[in-house]
Amino acid sequence: MTAVQSTGGSMLDRPSPTGLADVIDTILDKGLVIDAYVRVSLVGIEVLTIDARIVVASVDTYLRFAEAVNRLDISHDKEGLPGLVGGMQQSGAKHKTKGALDAAGDKLREVTSGKAERVRSGRHHED
Amino acid sequence: MATSTAADQAGWYVYGIVPADTEPPRGMRTIGDGRGATLVRSGTIAALTSPVPIDVPIGTPDDLVAHQKMLDAVAERAAVLPMRFGAVLATDDAVQRGLLEPHRDEFAAALDKFAGKVQFLVAGRYVQAAVLTEVLNENAEAVELAAAIRGEDELATRDLRIRLGEVVNAAVAAKREADTAAFATAIEPCCEAISRREAGHEDDAVDLALLVDRDREDDLRRSVQEAAARWRDRVAFRLLGPMAPYDFVVASHGG
Repeated sequence: MTAVQSTGGSMLDRPSPTGLADVIDTILDKGLVIDAYVRVSLVGIEVLTIDARIVVASVDTYLRFAEAVNRLDISHDKEGLPGLVGGMQQSGAKHKTKGALDAAGDKLREVTSGKAERVRSGRHHED
Repeated sequence: MATSTAADQAGWYVYGIVPADTEPPRGMRTIGDGRGATLVRSGTIAALTSPVPIDVPIGTPDDLVAHQKMLDAVAERAAVLPMRFGAVLATDDAVQRGLLEPHRDEFAAALDKFAGKVQFLVAGRYVQAAVLTEVLNENAEAVELAAAIRGEDELATRDLRIRLGEVVNAAVAAKREADTAAFATAIEPCCEAISRREAGHEDDAVDLALLVDRDREDDLRRSVQEAAARWRDRVAFRLLGPMAPYDFVVASHGG
């Protein structure tokens, strides 16, 4: 069913959260914070975290919206209004999917490169 | 501490709080040295933990996924209070005396509250072309601005573009409010509680965490499916779960 399709296919059929972006939003942002419960014996282990949330409204956001409207407008001109809806939605969805994948990739890269760097410097420390 | 060897530097990674009779999930990747997850008990409650070396930073993508998978595996059959990622205590004694014992009643009461309930996430993203078409049909200023930038140089019309984006963003935000409220109303009968997440992306339509009675999972799926079908041309939905009740645990305790 196309209505519930997303980057991972139909989520109503595949209920487990597997995407790193979903995990990050959930476990870095939510849950009990142990510091509130324990004041002693908390180990100062280095935790690699990233800011999971994207700022919703910025000039970038505005320019992206303007560009999207502009593209929509151009397609209106080319294809005419009636036939437009189906085709545009598909390309819109495709665009959205790509955006989401890019964003997830960025997060992943940040985490991975952060890890590589810090693990390296950590080892220098140890050696 | 700096002089001890890596092998000595073990801490206790805490995934969450569970009833003491919970069976820790087996065969799952743990954060730390790969030894399995174990329970540290105190009366009727326990902490789900695994030993973790403290000289290696944690927080790799694998670590994050391991944390969530462990908790979600437990949540499939028991109540669980998930910790936020990254909680490590020095010793099992610290887990017992520092974390569990002083807050036993509080944790036990919370576990009772979550017994038989699981969390789902429902995320709806606007189909951008569809929602922008709606905005252009409803907003005269957006139409004017769109006409003003069409075919014009991008830099020369930068201010107009920003204004257009602002208008569109505000219109989408208003839709997000209305759609979130309408969606919450539609699924509310299936839920014990609903918690709204902040929009993280400009295309977000609906972002809700739902606390659902395990027995009502099918009802929930049906409700979400119906709403998704109703909005099929304008919002793409995903339903994630069942999972641990991350969005419904709140640290009410100051220390």
